[in-house]
Amino acid sequence: MSDNIQNLQKSLSERLPQCSVKIRKHGGVELNSSKENLVGVLAHLREHFGYRHLSHISCVDWLEQNQFELVYILWNYESRIQLFVKVRLARENGSGISIRHLWPQADTYEREIAEMYGLPFDGNENPRELILEDWDAMPPMRRDFDTRAYSKEAFYDRPGREDAKDVRSVISGRSGEEIPEIAIPYTRK
Amino acid sequence: MEMNDKDTLTIVEHIKNFARRHSLFVLAYGTGCGAIEVPPTMTSRYDAERFGIVGRATPRQADVLLITGYLSVKTLKRVIRTYEQMQNPKYVIGFGSCTINGGMYWDSYNTIKVLDQYMPVDVYINGCMPRPESVISGFIKLQQLIKAGKADGWKKYQENLDWYRTNQKKVIKNWNMPDYNW
Amino acid sequence: METLKTISGYFATIGVAFTVGFLFMGFSRILTARVQNRVGPPIYQNLLDIIKLWSKESAINHGLMQHLGPAFAVTASVTTLLFIPVLRIGNWFQNFSFEGDLIFLLYIMVFGQLGMALGAGQTGNPNSAIGVSRGLSQVVGYEIPFVLALTALMVYHETTSLHEIMAAQDSIGAWNIFVNPFAFVAAIIAFLGMTHYTPFDVPFAPAELASGPPSEFGGKYLGMMMTSGSIFAFAKLTLFVNLFLGGASNLLELLAKTLALYLIPVIIGIVTPRYRTEQAIVFFWKWPTAFGILSILWVVWMR
Ligand code: SF4
Repeated sequence: MSDNIQNLQKSLSERLPQCSVKIRKHGGVELNSSKENLVGVLAHLREHFGYRHLSHISCVDWLEQNQFELVYILWNYESRIQLFVKVRLARENGSGISIRHLWPQADTYEREIAEMYGLPFDGNENPRELILEDWDAMPPMRRDFDTRAYSKEAFYDRPGREDAKDVRSVISGRSGEEIPEIAIPYTRK
Repeated sequence: MEMNDKDTLTIVEHIKNFARRHSLFVLAYGTGCGAIEVPPTMTSRYDAERFGIVGRATPRQADVLLITGYLSVKTLKRVIRTYEQMQNPKYVIGFGSCTINGGMYWDSYNTIKVLDQYMPVDVYINGCMPRPESVISGFIKLQQLIKAGKADGWKKYQENLDWYRTNQKKVIKNWNMPDYNW
Repeated sequence: METLKTISGYFATIGVAFTVGFLFMGFSRILTARVQNRVGPPIYQNLLDIIKLWSKESAINHGLMQHLGPAFAVTASVTTLLFIPVLRIGNWFQNFSFEGDLIFLLYIMVFGQLGMALGAGQTGNPNSAIGVSRGLSQVVGYEIPFVLALTALMVYHETTSLHEIMAAQDSIGAWNIFVNPFAFVAAIIAFLGMTHYTPFDVPFAPAELASGPPSEFGGKYLGMMMTSGSIFAFAKLTLFVNLFLGGASNLLELLAKTLALYLIPVIIGIVTPRYRTEQAIVFFWKWPTAFGILSILWVVWMR
């Protein structure tokens, strides 16, 4: 298995010199591409390395670096090695490139990312909402979106009980047991 | 004479009330994860049909709307529409802590937290999720309320329609359905 | 005095039919529950359902035809019932039966379904439309063996009067179920289609069609349909008892015979899965139709 991965890494770096290839700690191979090369790289992997299956497209929000990272997860049925193709995009006014022509199911993932992160895809003009309905605030999966504040503002909160007491102290008061030492830091005064 | 009239009326009312509380058609519309507790309630182990509780597939024929758990805003719109299509008298059972105070989705951006702000709830069943025993005990509570004539959420809904609509329209931004659905 | 007695007879017939109908349905629910290892509802549950539906305070309607549809269904059931002699002997419960009532019944029995189809069509619910189309296709399926079986009986007894068929069975000393078993098989399979129990319940399939034609009917309309269903179930059973089991001379005998007949679709319904429409039609046109033709040949051979 590890032998296979070494071979794959070697041949990948030979054939795709524009990408950096490395073996991941937890299995699989990681490939960093640039936005311009992405479609070519994916098509090449699909045609010549047997990566015929697109498992998922996921998006990571690197707020500190002001970037989005798309991760294309591919699977090879013969070698059974997972491949992660990563590409960094600008967070503000950036856009991804649609790969609907390679894998039709990419459409769903792209729509989801466009809806949840506000990252449009060139070539995927499918504007329909996927999960949300009539959403008009910041895309909710962005890290700077404060879901708690939003829900406080948008939805009614049921007020808590007036006599809100700590469960442990009530029980210990009733049964006369000591609160164990380990629980004291978590007990409300 | 008048006394007599009154008596016959109450007897008819008694019969109606008895039939209403012993024949509860439940709309088989699962909204949240609690819906998974409904099949065991209905089938061999807990057998809710003993109490005259049976599932119905359309809102027109149903008496009880089970809100089985969290409601996303998207589902809420459909649920309101469904509720308004049911025929009076109709009852709502809120199922699980999500309907009471948000439960584990209390800070989610897309689920409502307090169901009775948006539609009248006759009985709440707490638990996350409630077991079939508690579901049945909730139904029995509803039967007691009907017997006492207190399960009148549908009347409150008609009387306070404006208040409910304001609340509903606050979360449902695109209200592209008729204002009066039933 | 005579008129009063006849009129009270009509009402008594309807009352008996309704009571027996809902009790049988309750019984079938209990039986189903016992097979599934449940306790099941009380036997009068269907009556409670009907009272509750009638006491609903609102009933939505989408137009005139939706009023008329359930009304048609009730009318058709009551008419069917009143044209069937409920008992073999005596004056009571004879109602409107006349020479040639069998032919009339063949027509009037479909009437309720048509009324329901019209009413369901008005509601504009796609599920109703699908259910109606499936239900009417199924009618096309089971009418053929049914008519073949009835023709065999009519030819054999040389009469179209239910009353004479019953009397003939009495004088021969054998029920038609033994005289012409092929006709019975053909007719009873058609009966399964008529009752809409499980193998042939695709027009009403609640899991896929949201209960089909009545899916937009609530409150009183549904109550009306369930009332008509109870009456119609009894009417059909009585008709079959008259045709094949020699009729009944008192109500108790009638009850026993109808119950025995009613158990057939119920028990078959409990243990079988559902046919699709085209499978149902193919089935009806294959086996029961073959039996129907056989029954006619049998009659020709016997005579
Ligand atoms: S209360 Fe619990 S089980 Fe019920 S919907 Fe909420 S999270 Fe799910």
